[in-house]
Amino acid sequence: MTPHFRRISESNSTGSQKRACVFSNMAAARRLKRVAVSQPGFLTLNPKVGPTDLVSSRRKRVNKNKKKNWNKYSDVQDVEEFLEDVRHQERTTGKGKSSRPLRIDLILQHDSRVAPPKDVLAYQKPNAKKLRRAAERAEKLAAKGVVPRSKKRLLNRPVVDRTSKKTETEANNNPERDFYDIWGQETKDLGEPWYLQQTRKKLVKRPEKLNEKPSVLPAVEVIAPGGSYNPDFFSHQELLREAHEVEVKKKKVEDKIERQLAYNKEDTATEETILREQVEGLVEESEEEEEKEDAPKEDGEEVAVGAIAVADKKTERQRKREKAEKMKEQQRLAERRQTEQQQQLFQLRSIKTSIKQQEEKTQVRQKRRKAKEEAQKAQPRRLGKLKFQPQDMEVQLSDELAGSLRQLKPEGSVLMDRFKSLQKRNLIEPRERAKFKRRLKVKYVEKRAFKEIS
Amino acid sequence: MGGLQKKKFERGSATNYITRNRARKKLQLSLPDFRRLCILKGIYPHEPKHKKKVNKGSTAPRTFYLLKDIRFLLHEPIVGKFREYKIFVRKLKKAYGKTEWSAVERLRENKPTYKLDHIIKERYPTFIDALRDIDDALCMCFLFSTFARTGKCHVQTIQLCKRLTVEWMNYVITSRSLRKVFLSIKGIYYQAEVMGQLITWVVPYQFSHDHPVDVDYRVMATFTELYTTLLGFVNFRLYNSLNLVYPPKKLSALSASLARVVSSAEEEEAQLDHFPTEGEDMEKMEAREKELKQQEAQKKLFEGLKFYLNREVPRESLAFIIRCFGGQVSWDKSVCIGSTYEMTDETITHHIIDRPSVDKQYINRYYIQPQWVYDCVNAKVLLPVEDYFLGVTLPPHLSPFVEEKEGDYVPPEKLKIMALQRGEKTGNEQEEEEEEEEEEEEEEEQEEEEEDDNGDEEDDEEEVAEEKNLKKMEEQRSQGKVIFKVTPGKLKVENKARLEQEEKAEEKRLAIMMMKKKEKYLYDKIMFGKKRKVREANKLAAKRKAHDDAEKAKKKKARK
Repeated sequence: MTPHFRRISESNSTGSQKRACVFSNMAAARRLKRVAVSQPGFLTLNPKVGPTDLVSSRRKRVNKNKKKNWNKYSDVQDVEEFLEDVRHQERTTGKGKSSRPLRIDLILQHDSRVAPPKDVLAYQKPNAKKLRRAAERAEKLAAKGVVPRSKKRLLNRPVVDRTSKKTETEANNNPERDFYDIWGQETKDLGEPWYLQQTRKKLVKRPEKLNEKPSVLPAVEVIAPGGSYNPDFFSHQELLREAHEVEVKKKKVEDKIERQLAYNKEDTATEETILREQVEGLVEESEEEEEKEDAPKEDGEEVAVGAIAVADKKTERQRKREKAEKMKEQQRLAERRQTEQQQQLFQLRSIKTSIKQQEEKTQVRQKRRKAKEEAQKAQPRRLGKLKFQPQDMEVQLSDELAGSLRQLKPEGSVLMDRFKSLQKRNLIEPRERAKFKRRLKVKYVEKRAFKEIS
Repeated sequence: MGGLQKKKFERGSATNYITRNRARKKLQLSLPDFRRLCILKGIYPHEPKHKKKVNKGSTAPRTFYLLKDIRFLLHEPIVGKFREYKIFVRKLKKAYGKTEWSAVERLRENKPTYKLDHIIKERYPTFIDALRDIDDALCMCFLFSTFARTGKCHVQTIQLCKRLTVEWMNYVITSRSLRKVFLSIKGIYYQAEVMGQLITWVVPYQFSHDHPVDVDYRVMATFTELYTTLLGFVNFRLYNSLNLVYPPKKLSALSASLARVVSSAEEEEAQLDHFPTEGEDMEKMEAREKELKQQEAQKKLFEGLKFYLNREVPRESLAFIIRCFGGQVSWDKSVCIGSTYEMTDETITHHIIDRPSVDKQYINRYYIQPQWVYDCVNAKVLLPVEDYFLGVTLPPHLSPFVEEKEGDYVPPEKLKIMALQRGEKTGNEQEEEEEEEEEEEEEEEQEEEEEDDNGDEEDDEEEVAEEKNLKKMEEQRSQGKVIFKVTPGKLKVENKARLEQEEKAEEKRLAIMMMKKKEKYLYDKIMFGKKRKVREANKLAAKRKAHDDAEKAKKKKARK
């Protein structure tokens, strides 16, 4: 969007915000004034008024109920002094001022003066002897060097290799990946074929049809000899001629469209013709002409009307006559056929020649059809929405040819060439770069200021 | 009526196909995941013959897959991995949102991954199948290895591609399998012969980088994922076939040779056993033997030569090619690691430079432009260095992928190369004398003997010799006098060749006389067609000559 158009929904600043900014400006000005006044050697305009009198001695009104102002504006110095004094006393002497026993100590004292009985079970350890003996045995064995079984198992755990990243080494495009002989190994049947098939361990056989190549074209088509970086004169001319023909074809198509859209300049409507067209049928002179035109037309219609006559019903005689005629006709045709058959004996030679000609024709047509089919095979198939667009021919004009390999400027890119070759050989369908389509339309609005200008 | 009426679109081709969205829902995957799965498994959309039938009456363009293919996809184990990955992403997002960093760590450590080994084994059951499809894989890997390390694709993918391409190049160097190279405006095309398969791939130039916006990088990344796995396995197998250690170490410079599993001494040249196959003539066997010998000779093209590459030439490409043919190569230390000797080394035979001039010149080395190396590889013979000195206009770089048939136009540069291949230096000598004569202002037209391609020697057709003779006679008649410059050594060779040709021609003429009328009629038609081609080729040659003469006249005028 151009900068001078703005979005419609932009909120205006509220009144309170305006006030806030006004106040903050005032506070800043006051602060500056105070600082300036406190500088040494500050002189006031009026000699009687001193610098201290200028700064208003009115105290600022502060709200002490806010948490922010508790620390700032309350003076607790006297309380702090007293508490410090008490603490110091407690540190130096034992307990300080009040030397009462703590309540918790009083609660924990025994109620009676009789001592509680000794709890034997508290001192008893079950299996103490056994455990002691086991510990001594373990010590002796450890001194000898024998490691207990559980520790041995812990030591023999397999070491987890946490340094190498498994996924990176297994990835397909790992530059250090290693290859093996994939065609040399004979397949070992580890199990029954039916079992392997059911458990999906054996891969399904590839259908034979998939091994056929989709096109008869070779994978790499070498450019014509005129495409050499230092070409021979005639082959270069040949290549230029081919490129020229392609351009001529393109131009022909363009010209055809131009011709179809062309019109005679004299046919454009001038004011005169427009006027005449509008006035047609309104002026009296033209009425007489119209009458004359109508008259000859009517005669023609009458003649036409006369020709359409209604047919009367056929009589018996007419029917008999028609039947007899039909019979005669059929007889005649039968006789003719007979004589034709007899005469065909003498026409054998010409019949033969005509048959031969027909056969030749069919053969020629067959050959042509076969050739067309072969040519079609070499063409790229239509495999999708887009048609295959062949590349522009790579050819350098005579003045672009380089004299040496160092000055050569390459024409055409191998990447594009490979991509188009894949499309030509029907391996992929022709594809275009996806365009950016907007779902909703964008609305453009002019800023008010700009509306005034333009 | 009853329920036994046949309804439309319930049988036949309409039930064999399924639309993309339906297939996606059946597999319960998102669209990018579905695409990735199809690419990895090699399942491609099909265009049905009768679209209206399959699309239930409408002709809207939709993508169709075969129903059987989608059913096959349901059994794929990595579909489960895709779903796990989706859940992983969801959990990770939640942990990030709640800023539970320990959970993020734990999830990251247990990220679900999948392997494509079983897919490779299923799609390419034998090694030769994999080799047939390796063109595409090589192109993609080379392309990705030239990408810059921006965020467009994983840096690990680029590194893996680099490693695999270097391994491949080292295999080709060790097995000396490179056959053809072509420098085009798009990139460099290579062709190698590995285990009987001709493999062509294209490498982009190092200094070209415009990432076009229209390319779908996710699709290319998925293809690369599959192809890197394939290429890795193929590399392993190829290295094993040569008894080399895999993975090799310290390879990035392409100047070190590979370690071997069994440290053997220099390979002995295997003597070719004569196994005459049934029904083969002696001639064909001899021709094959000759071919093999030529190949062996070609493999040692640069043996004994020491090269030094200047900074501005494409180092990787040239180092690869030179080492493929047995030469030694080095470059400046500051350019890259792995340079074995310095520029000041006295034993350097060829110094490859692409600048207009060089300041310091050593005496016993040739200063040549890089096209010499490429042209020598294509010509399979060491070309004369004079045409490629600094500041000289280079001869055109011809494509080795073009096979000229009989009678087609052959550019004169190629003819010169072919003459060189046969050990004759007619072209050069004749040209020099041409210039001398013109300076003395003698106007005589010289005709270079246009001889046929090498390939004809291998085609044992009888018509070849006849055609050669006809061509010669035609040209002689049309162009008037022909002057032969014969040197003593050449005489013998010519005589033998001529005698053979004459004998063959005689035999041919007899055979033609003995033909039946029908066969003769066909033969005449064939020859007519061939002669037409020859006439056109001659026309082009005449045009070229006119062009050359015009240039020479211009030069003369400039001199005057």
